[in-house]
Amino acid sequence: MNIQFNNRDPVYIQVIQHFKLQIAKGFLESGDVIPSRRELASQLKINPNTAQRAYKEMEEEGLIKTEKNQPSKVTHDQDVLRGVRNELIDEAVSQFVDSVKSINVPLEDAMKLIETHYKEKGDSND
Amino acid sequence: MIEVKDIVKRFGRKTVLDQVSFTAEKGQITCLIGVNGMGKTTIMNAIMKLTPLQAGEILVDGEKVTKDTFEKIVFIPDATIMLPHFTIEMAMEFMKDFYKNWNQRRADDMLAFFKLNRKDKIASLSKGNTAKVNLLLGLAVDADYILMDEPFSGIDIFSREQIAEVFTSHLIEDRGVLITTHEIGDIEHLIDKVVILNDGKIQKEFMTEDVRELEGKSVIDVLREVFVQ
Repeated sequence: MNIQFNNRDPVYIQVIQHFKLQIAKGFLESGDVIPSRRELASQLKINPNTAQRAYKEMEEEGLIKTEKNQPSKVTHDQDVLRGVRNELIDEAVSQFVDSVKSINVPLEDAMKLIETHYKEKGDSND
Repeated sequence: MIEVKDIVKRFGRKTVLDQVSFTAEKGQITCLIGVNGMGKTTIMNAIMKLTPLQAGEILVDGEKVTKDTFEKIVFIPDATIMLPHFTIEMAMEFMKDFYKNWNQRRADDMLAFFKLNRKDKIASLSKGNTAKVNLLLGLAVDADYILMDEPFSGIDIFSREQIAEVFTSHLIEDRGVLITTHEIGDIEHLIDKVVILNDGKIQKEFMTEDVRELEGKSVIDVLREVFVQ
Protein backbone atom coordinates (compact mmCIF):
# COMPACT_ATOMS: atom_id res chain seq x y z
CA MET A 1 0.00 0.00 0.00
CA ASN A 2 1.36 3.37 -0.99
CA ILE A 3 -0.26 6.75 -1.34
CA GLN A 4 1.26 9.87 -2.78
CA PHE A 5 -0.17 12.50 -0.46
CA ASN A 6 -0.71 16.06 -1.52
CA ASN A 7 -0.04 18.72 1.09
CA ARG A 8 -3.19 20.78 0.82
CA ASP A 9 -5.93 18.27 1.55
CA PRO A 10 -6.31 16.84 5.02
CA VAL A 11 -4.31 13.64 5.22
CA TYR A 12 -7.14 11.74 6.90
CA ILE A 13 -9.45 12.53 3.98
CA GLN A 14 -6.84 11.30 1.52
CA VAL A 15 -6.60 8.08 3.50
CA ILE A 16 -10.39 7.61 3.38
CA GLN A 17 -10.37 8.34 -0.35
CA HIS A 18 -7.73 5.66 -0.79
CA PHE A 19 -9.89 3.09 1.00
CA LYS A 20 -12.91 4.07 -1.08
CA LEU A 21 -10.94 3.56 -4.27
CA GLN A 22 -9.81 0.13 -3.09
CA ILE A 23 -13.43 -0.76 -2.41
CA ALA A 24 -14.68 0.63 -5.74
CA LYS A 25 -12.01 -1.29 -7.63
CA GLY A 26 -12.90 -4.45 -5.76
CA PHE A 27 -9.48 -4.87 -4.13
CA LEU A 28 -11.21 -4.62 -0.78
CA GLU A 29 -14.36 -6.67 -0.39
CA SER A 30 -16.99 -6.86 2.29
CA GLY A 31 -15.68 -8.56 5.42
CA ASP A 32 -12.00 -8.08 4.50
CA VAL A 33 -9.75 -7.34 7.46
CA ILE A 34 -7.96 -4.00 7.18
CA PRO A 35 -4.69 -3.10 8.94
CA SER A 36 -4.75 -1.88 12.53
CA ARG A 37 -4.36 1.84 13.08
CA ARG A 38 -0.75 1.45 14.05
CA GLU A 39 0.04 -0.79 11.07
CA LEU A 40 -1.63 1.67 8.73
CA ALA A 41 0.35 4.58 10.21
CA SER A 42 3.66 2.85 9.61
CA GLN A 43 2.68 1.52 6.16
CA LEU A 44 1.59 4.93 4.93
CA LYS A 45 4.18 6.79 7.00
CA ILE A 46 1.58 8.98 8.64
CA ASN A 47 0.87 10.09 12.17
CA PRO A 48 -1.01 7.41 14.20
CA ASN A 49 -3.48 10.13 15.23
CA THR A 50 -4.31 10.68 11.56
CA ALA A 51 -4.85 6.96 10.98
CA GLN A 52 -7.10 6.94 14.04
CA ARG A 53 -9.12 9.86 12.69
CA ALA A 54 -9.53 8.28 9.24
CA TYR A 55 -10.81 5.05 10.81
CA LYS A 56 -13.18 6.93 13.06
CA GLU A 57 -14.71 8.76 10.09
CA MET A 58 -14.98 5.54 8.11
CA GLU A 59 -16.73 3.91 11.03
CA GLU A 60 -19.18 6.78 11.20
CA GLU A 61 -19.83 6.51 7.48
CA GLY A 62 -20.46 2.79 7.99
CA LEU A 63 -17.61 1.79 5.68
CA ILE A 64 -15.83 -0.30 8.26
CA LYS A 65 -16.80 -2.04 11.45
CA THR A 66 -14.79 -2.71 14.56
CA GLU A 67 -16.00 -5.13 17.18
CA LYS A 68 -14.37 -5.42 20.57
CA ASN A 69 -10.89 -6.97 20.47
CA GLN A 70 -11.30 -7.73 16.78
CA PRO A 71 -9.48 -6.23 13.83
CA SER A 72 -11.50 -3.71 11.78
CA LYS A 73 -13.31 -5.11 8.76
CA VAL A 74 -14.95 -3.74 5.64
CA THR A 75 -18.72 -3.56 6.13
CA HIS A 76 -21.08 -6.31 4.92
CA ASP A 77 -23.65 -3.72 3.94
CA GLN A 78 -23.83 -3.95 0.13
CA ASP A 79 -25.76 -0.69 -0.12
CA VAL A 80 -22.88 1.19 1.49
CA LEU A 81 -20.34 -0.48 -0.80
CA ARG A 82 -22.38 0.29 -3.91
CA GLY A 83 -22.79 3.82 -2.61
CA VAL A 84 -19.01 4.23 -2.44
CA ARG A 85 -18.62 3.16 -6.06
CA ASN A 86 -21.39 5.46 -7.22
CA GLU A 87 -19.99 8.34 -5.22
CA LEU A 88 -16.56 7.99 -6.83
CA ILE A 89 -17.99 7.67 -10.33
CA ASP A 90 -20.21 10.66 -9.75
CA GLU A 91 -17.29 12.75 -8.50
CA ALA A 92 -15.10 11.83 -11.46
CA VAL A 93 -17.82 12.58 -14.02
CA SER A 94 -18.76 15.86 -12.42
CA GLN A 95 -15.10 16.92 -12.41
CA PHE A 96 -14.84 16.02 -16.07
CA VAL A 97 -18.00 17.90 -16.95
CA ASP A 98 -16.79 20.96 -15.04
CA SER A 99 -13.56 21.09 -16.97
CA VAL A 100 -15.03 20.51 -20.45
CA LYS A 101 -17.87 22.92 -19.76
CA SER A 102 -15.41 25.61 -18.75
CA ILE A 103 -13.93 25.42 -22.25
CA ASN A 104 -17.37 25.34 -23.90
CA VAL A 105 -17.34 21.84 -25.34
CA PRO A 106 -20.82 20.89 -26.63
CA LEU A 107 -22.32 17.74 -25.09
CA GLU A 108 -22.27 15.73 -28.37
CA ASP A 109 -18.57 16.47 -28.88
CA ALA A 110 -17.79 15.53 -25.32
CA MET A 111 -19.70 12.26 -25.70
CA LYS A 112 -17.86 11.44 -28.92
CA LEU A 113 -14.53 12.19 -27.30
CA ILE A 114 -15.36 9.96 -24.35
CA GLU A 115 -16.21 7.15 -26.70
CA THR A 116 -13.00 7.43 -28.71
CA HIS A 117 -10.84 7.63 -25.59
CA TYR A 118 -12.65 4.73 -23.99
CA LYS A 119 -11.96 2.54 -27.04
CA GLU A 120 -8.33 3.66 -27.29
CA LYS A 121 -7.64 2.71 -23.69
CA GLY A 122 -9.09 -0.75 -24.34
CA ASP A 123 -9.42 -3.05 -21.36
CA SER A 124 -6.71 -1.59 -19.17
CA ASN A 125 -8.32 -0.32 -16.00
CA ASP A 126 -5.54 1.73 -14.46
CA MET B 1 1.34 18.60 28.54
CA ILE B 2 4.31 20.93 28.32
CA GLU B 3 3.18 24.48 28.95
CA VAL B 4 5.46 27.33 28.05
CA LYS B 5 4.07 30.48 29.64
CA ASP B 6 5.16 34.01 28.78
CA ILE B 7 8.85 33.24 28.83
CA VAL B 8 11.33 36.02 28.27
CA LYS B 9 14.99 35.48 27.47
CA ARG B 10 17.58 38.17 26.89
CA PHE B 11 21.19 37.82 25.84
CA GLY B 12 22.63 41.15 26.90
CA ARG B 13 20.42 43.80 25.40
CA LYS B 14 19.05 41.47 22.76
CA THR B 15 15.62 39.99 23.53
CA VAL B 16 15.57 36.51 22.01
CA LEU B 17 12.27 35.32 23.43
CA ASP B 18 9.61 37.92 24.09
CA GLN B 19 6.72 36.51 26.13
CA VAL B 20 6.56 33.23 24.31
CA SER B 21 3.65 30.92 25.19
CA PHE B 22 2.53 27.66 23.65
CA THR B 23 1.72 24.08 24.61
CA ALA B 24 2.86 20.67 23.43
CA GLU B 25 0.38 17.88 24.14
CA LYS B 26 1.04 14.27 25.01
CA GLY B 27 0.27 11.91 22.13
CA GLN B 28 0.94 14.65 19.61
CA ILE B 29 3.87 15.78 17.51
CA THR B 30 4.36 19.52 17.83
CA CYS B 31 6.75 21.25 15.47
CA LEU B 32 8.48 24.47 16.37
CA ILE B 33 9.36 26.36 13.21
CA GLY B 34 11.30 29.54 12.70
CA VAL B 35 14.18 30.74 10.58
CA ASN B 36 17.68 30.57 12.06
CA GLY B 37 18.50 32.57 15.16
CA MET B 38 14.90 32.84 16.29
CA GLY B 39 15.41 31.08 19.59
CA LYS B 40 14.07 27.60 18.90
CA THR B 41 16.99 25.90 20.57
CA THR B 42 16.86 28.42 23.41
CA ILE B 43 13.28 27.31 24.12
CA MET B 44 14.37 23.69 24.31
CA ASN B 45 17.29 24.61 26.53
CA ALA B 46 14.90 26.59 28.74
CA ILE B 47 12.52 23.62 29.09
CA MET B 48 15.50 21.49 30.16
CA LYS B 49 16.66 24.22 32.56
CA LEU B 50 19.92 24.56 30.65
CA THR B 51 19.55 28.31 30.41
CA PRO B 52 18.03 30.79 32.90
CA LEU B 53 14.99 32.86 31.94
CA GLN B 54 14.28 36.48 32.78
CA ALA B 55 10.53 35.90 33.15
CA GLY B 56 7.76 33.38 32.66
CA GLU B 57 7.50 29.73 33.61
CA ILE B 58 7.46 26.27 32.11
CA LEU B 59 5.22 23.51 33.45
CA VAL B 60 5.31 19.80 32.64
CA ASP B 61 2.04 18.04 33.48
CA GLY B 62 1.12 21.09 35.54
CA GLU B 63 4.26 21.03 37.65
CA LYS B 64 7.44 23.05 37.66
CA VAL B 65 10.49 21.37 36.20
CA THR B 66 12.63 19.74 38.88
CA LYS B 67 15.31 17.05 38.91
CA ASP B 68 12.61 14.36 38.84
CA THR B 69 11.06 15.84 35.70
CA PHE B 70 14.08 14.63 33.76
CA GLU B 71 12.85 11.04 34.02
CA LYS B 72 9.74 12.20 32.15
CA ILE B 73 11.32 14.32 29.49
CA VAL B 74 14.35 13.75 27.27
CA PHE B 75 16.21 16.17 25.08
CA ILE B 76 17.84 14.99 21.86
CA PRO B 77 20.18 17.78 20.74
CA ASP B 78 21.66 18.05 17.26
CA ALA B 79 25.25 17.79 18.50
CA THR B 80 27.15 14.81 19.86
CA ILE B 81 26.48 14.49 23.55
CA MET B 82 28.74 11.57 24.38
CA LEU B 83 32.49 11.60 24.94
CA PRO B 84 34.30 11.09 21.63
CA HIS B 85 36.08 7.86 22.58
CA PHE B 86 32.82 6.16 23.61
CA THR B 87 31.48 3.31 21.54
CA ILE B 88 27.70 3.06 21.08
CA GLU B 89 27.72 0.30 23.68
CA MET B 90 29.52 2.46 26.24
CA ALA B 91 27.10 5.31 25.57
CA MET B 92 24.17 2.99 26.27
CA GLU B 93 25.81 1.86 29.54
CA PHE B 94 26.28 5.48 30.45
CA MET B 95 22.60 6.26 29.84
CA LYS B 96 21.55 3.18 31.83
CA ASP B 97 23.47 4.50 34.84
CA PHE B 98 21.76 7.87 34.65
CA TYR B 99 18.14 7.01 33.85
CA LYS B 100 15.90 4.74 35.87
CA ASN B 101 13.64 4.54 32.81
CA TRP B 102 16.31 3.30 30.40
CA ASN B 103 14.80 0.56 28.22
CA GLN B 104 17.53 -1.68 26.81
CA ARG B 105 15.14 -3.73 24.72
CA ARG B 106 14.00 -0.68 22.88
CA ALA B 107 17.60 0.45 22.43
CA ASP B 108 18.43 -2.95 20.87
CA ASP B 109 15.40 -2.68 18.56
CA MET B 110 16.53 0.70 17.35
CA LEU B 111 20.10 -0.46 16.91
CA ALA B 112 18.78 -3.10 14.50
CA PHE B 113 16.34 -0.72 12.81
CA PHE B 114 19.06 1.86 12.13
CA LYS B 115 21.61 -0.88 11.26
CA LEU B 116 24.14 0.48 13.72
CA ASN B 117 27.04 -1.51 15.15
CA ARG B 118 27.31 -1.34 18.94
CA LYS B 119 31.10 -1.64 18.86
CA ASP B 120 31.53 1.45 16.67
CA LYS B 121 33.15 4.52 18.15
CA ILE B 122 30.73 7.44 18.10
CA ALA B 123 33.42 9.90 16.97
CA SER B 124 34.09 7.80 13.87
CA LEU B 125 30.47 7.80 12.69
CA SER B 126 29.06 9.80 9.80
CA LYS B 127 26.83 12.75 10.55
CA GLY B 128 23.73 10.74 9.70
CA ASN B 129 24.70 7.87 11.96
CA THR B 130 25.61 10.25 14.78
CA ALA B 131 22.09 11.69 14.54
CA LYS B 132 20.67 8.16 14.68
CA VAL B 133 22.73 7.37 17.80
CA ASN B 134 21.45 10.54 19.45
CA LEU B 135 17.91 9.55 18.58
CA LEU B 136 18.45 6.03 19.90
CA LEU B 137 19.88 7.27 23.20
CA GLY B 138 16.93 9.61 23.67
CA LEU B 139 14.10 7.36 22.54
CA ALA B 140 15.28 4.37 24.56
CA VAL B 141 14.41 6.27 27.72
CA ASP B 142 10.79 5.54 28.64
CA ALA B 143 9.96 9.22 28.91
CA ASP B 144 6.56 10.82 28.30
CA TYR B 145 7.99 13.76 26.39
CA ILE B 146 10.75 14.01 23.84
CA LEU B 147 12.39 17.20 22.64
CA MET B 148 14.27 16.91 19.35
CA ASP B 149 16.43 19.68 18.01
CA GLU B 150 16.89 19.57 14.23
CA PRO B 151 17.01 15.77 13.84
CA PHE B 152 17.17 16.13 10.04
CA SER B 153 19.74 18.87 9.49
CA GLY B 154 22.68 18.00 7.27
CA ILE B 155 21.58 14.40 6.79
CA ASP B 156 21.14 12.52 3.54
CA ILE B 157 17.67 11.83 2.18
CA PHE B 158 17.61 8.11 3.02
CA SER B 159 18.67 8.64 6.61
CA ARG B 160 16.04 11.37 6.82
CA GLU B 161 13.40 8.96 5.59
CA GLN B 162 14.53 6.40 8.12
CA ILE B 163 14.35 8.93 10.93
CA ALA B 164 10.91 10.11 9.75
CA GLU B 165 9.76 6.49 9.90
CA VAL B 166 10.47 6.49 13.63
CA PHE B 167 7.65 9.02 14.01
CA THR B 168 5.05 6.63 12.65
CA SER B 169 6.16 3.72 14.81
CA HIS B 170 5.47 2.53 18.34
CA LEU B 171 8.69 4.28 19.39
CA ILE B 172 6.81 7.57 19.44
CA GLU B 173 3.19 6.58 19.86
CA ASP B 174 1.44 8.02 22.91
CA ARG B 175 4.37 10.24 23.80
CA GLY B 176 4.51 13.98 23.39
CA VAL B 177 7.09 15.18 20.90
CA LEU B 178 8.38 18.70 20.44
CA ILE B 179 10.60 18.98 17.41
CA THR B 180 12.40 21.82 15.65
CA THR B 181 13.27 21.53 11.99
CA HIS B 182 13.94 23.43 8.79
CA GLU B 183 13.20 20.43 6.63
CA ILE B 184 9.47 20.61 7.08
CA GLY B 185 8.90 18.70 3.84
CA ASP B 186 10.17 15.50 5.46
CA ILE B 187 7.54 15.50 8.15
CA GLU B 188 4.73 17.65 6.83
CA HIS B 189 2.35 14.68 6.95
CA LEU B 190 3.52 13.54 10.34
CA ILE B 191 3.03 16.52 12.60
CA ASP B 192 -0.13 17.35 14.50
CA LYS B 193 0.62 20.90 15.41
CA VAL B 194 2.81 23.75 14.26
CA VAL B 195 4.10 26.65 16.36
CA ILE B 196 5.70 29.42 14.31
CA LEU B 197 8.30 31.54 16.03
CA ASN B 198 9.36 34.82 14.44
CA ASP B 199 11.32 37.71 15.94
CA GLY B 200 11.14 36.14 19.38
CA LYS B 201 7.35 35.95 19.35
CA ILE B 202 4.83 33.26 18.54
CA GLN B 203 3.32 34.21 15.20
CA LYS B 204 0.92 31.37 14.85
CA GLU B 205 -0.06 28.11 16.50
CA PHE B 206 -2.26 25.73 14.54
CA MET B 207 -3.26 22.12 13.91
CA THR B 208 -2.04 20.97 10.49
CA GLU B 209 -5.18 19.03 9.55
CA ASP B 210 -7.40 22.02 10.45
CA VAL B 211 -5.48 24.34 8.16
CA ARG B 212 -5.73 21.82 5.32
CA GLU B 213 -9.41 21.22 5.95
CA LEU B 214 -10.60 24.78 6.59
CA GLU B 215 -8.22 26.80 4.46
CA GLY B 216 -6.92 24.29 1.90
CA LYS B 217 -3.37 25.25 2.77
CA SER B 218 -0.24 23.21 3.29
CA VAL B 219 2.07 23.93 6.22
CA ILE B 220 4.50 25.49 3.78
CA ASP B 221 1.75 27.80 2.46
CA VAL B 222 1.19 29.11 5.98
CA LEU B 223 4.92 29.53 6.57
CA ARG B 224 5.24 31.49 3.36
CA GLU B 225 2.50 33.85 4.53
CA VAL B 226 4.32 34.47 7.78
CA PHE B 227 7.90 34.76 6.57
CA VAL B 228 7.62 36.11 3.02
CA GLN B 229 5.61 39.29 2.96
